[in-house]
Amino acid sequence: MIEIRNIKKSFEGRPILKDVSTLFEKGKTNLIIGQSGSGKTVLLKSIVRLLEVDEGEILFDGRDIRKLNFSDLKQLRQEMGMVFQGGALFDSLDVADNVRFPMDMFTNMTTGEKNKHVDFCLDRVNIKGAHHLFPSEISGGMRKRVAIARAIALNPKYLFCDEPNSGLDPVTSILIDNLIKEITVEFDITTLINTHDMNSVMEIGDNILFISNGEKGWEGNNTQVLFTRNKKLNEFVFASPLSKRIRDLKQREDDE
Amino acid sequence: MRIFNEIGSYFLLMYRVFSRPEKSRIYWRQLLLEIEKLGINSLAIVAIISVFMGGIITLQLTYNMSNPLMPSYLIGLGNRDTLILEFSCTVLSLMMAGKVGSNIASEIGSMRVTEQIDSLELMGVNSASFLILPKIVAVVLMSPILFILSVFCGIIGGLIAGPLSGVVTVAQYMGGIRTMFVPFYVTFSILKTLVFGFLIATVPAFQGFNVQGGALEVGKASTRSVVNTSILILFFDLILTQLLFK
Repeated sequence: MIEIRNIKKSFEGRPILKDVSTLFEKGKTNLIIGQSGSGKTVLLKSIVRLLEVDEGEILFDGRDIRKLNFSDLKQLRQEMGMVFQGGALFDSLDVADNVRFPMDMFTNMTTGEKNKHVDFCLDRVNIKGAHHLFPSEISGGMRKRVAIARAIALNPKYLFCDEPNSGLDPVTSILIDNLIKEITVEFDITTLINTHDMNSVMEIGDNILFISNGEKGWEGNNTQVLFTRNKKLNEFVFASPLSKRIRDLKQREDDE
Repeated sequence: MRIFNEIGSYFLLMYRVFSRPEKSRIYWRQLLLEIEKLGINSLAIVAIISVFMGGIITLQLTYNMSNPLMPSYLIGLGNRDTLILEFSCTVLSLMMAGKVGSNIASEIGSMRVTEQIDSLELMGVNSASFLILPKIVAVVLMSPILFILSVFCGIIGGLIAGPLSGVVTVAQYMGGIRTMFVPFYVTFSILKTLVFGFLIATVPAFQGFNVQGGALEVGKASTRSVVNTSILILFFDLILTQLLFK
């Protein structure tokens, strides 16, 4: 479980996050949604302390990440996995070595054990026969799946995904969404996903936090999001005519 | 004010770079890769440039110093000392700042903009130490080797160009090479190459590590790193020459 309390962050005097508080539950996919530039990525990077917030508390099962010293922070970070927007795979390492990297750095596993675990992680994300390919030789969707495999290599307690569907086709997006959801439940981890993909919101949004202009605009789940009266959220969720149609159809269905 | 900020940030980064490595075995593997990439892969270009420069210095010395009062061994002596004192350490370091420095800045800069450095940090890896320390050790280790290779190739270059063009005989040239040799010159130049090697690795690494933005900024950082490293090499050359020859 991750709790954030009264987070404030500004860049050169320009406020980006304005007093944001919420709770991200364990075993659930917690989505942070909002328009581009609303502060989602800043919030996610602040939670993992890649950015330092100006004020507030960020509690990882009671441990305030802001108050941890260097070695404790290192320890906590070994409990985290993160899938970056572009995958952030190491260009100089092949797929298997990318997944093996955290094990090399932080475990005393034997080579055989590592190879077995690499196979397990890659199997888990449905990647077969690509162990020796380099990131530049695989597709965007595959890169995201390898990033997920690397993120789960050390059995993390917390998983962070920054726009995992960006640049992917709808079919691959659904695969990635389902994969993240399955992993969250299977490993009972606290997952935070930063997205503006409405399909993800509807499919895997156990908890949804809507950020608007750096403020908490709304909180709820994927059922509530369809019928909210929050004006800004409605503008965001039903920005496309297709979403409006789906909502109207669903409303009609429910009325009947 | 900005320059003080930069200097402060540079030393803070160095503090992180020289903290204890997470797993020395992984660092050792990285070090061998960097030695190959930054050092071994530079051997050929260093050798080629040095052979030509040795030849050119020999010819220039001959044409500009031809005087009946000047002993002919001065050609070999002049070539040797020019190579040892300045060319093979300073000029070669300037060239290495271009080749190796831009490579380091663009590699680390690209890793920054593609979030690979964030990814390392998030895993709990000291990214500064993991990425930069092996490069520093590799360049500092390889610099004296490249220096010695360069001096050797430069002397060979003179040996080829001088007698071939008929301006000096092999015996006169080799006599000059062996005349009035001061071993301290070699020690002095190796000390300089160690300092220059440190600059060649750390200044571009600092520029690359602090890139913000995209591909355009990576290119700018790469250019800035070559300019800054070159200026610093010349600045330290001046200081070290003054200090060590005093």
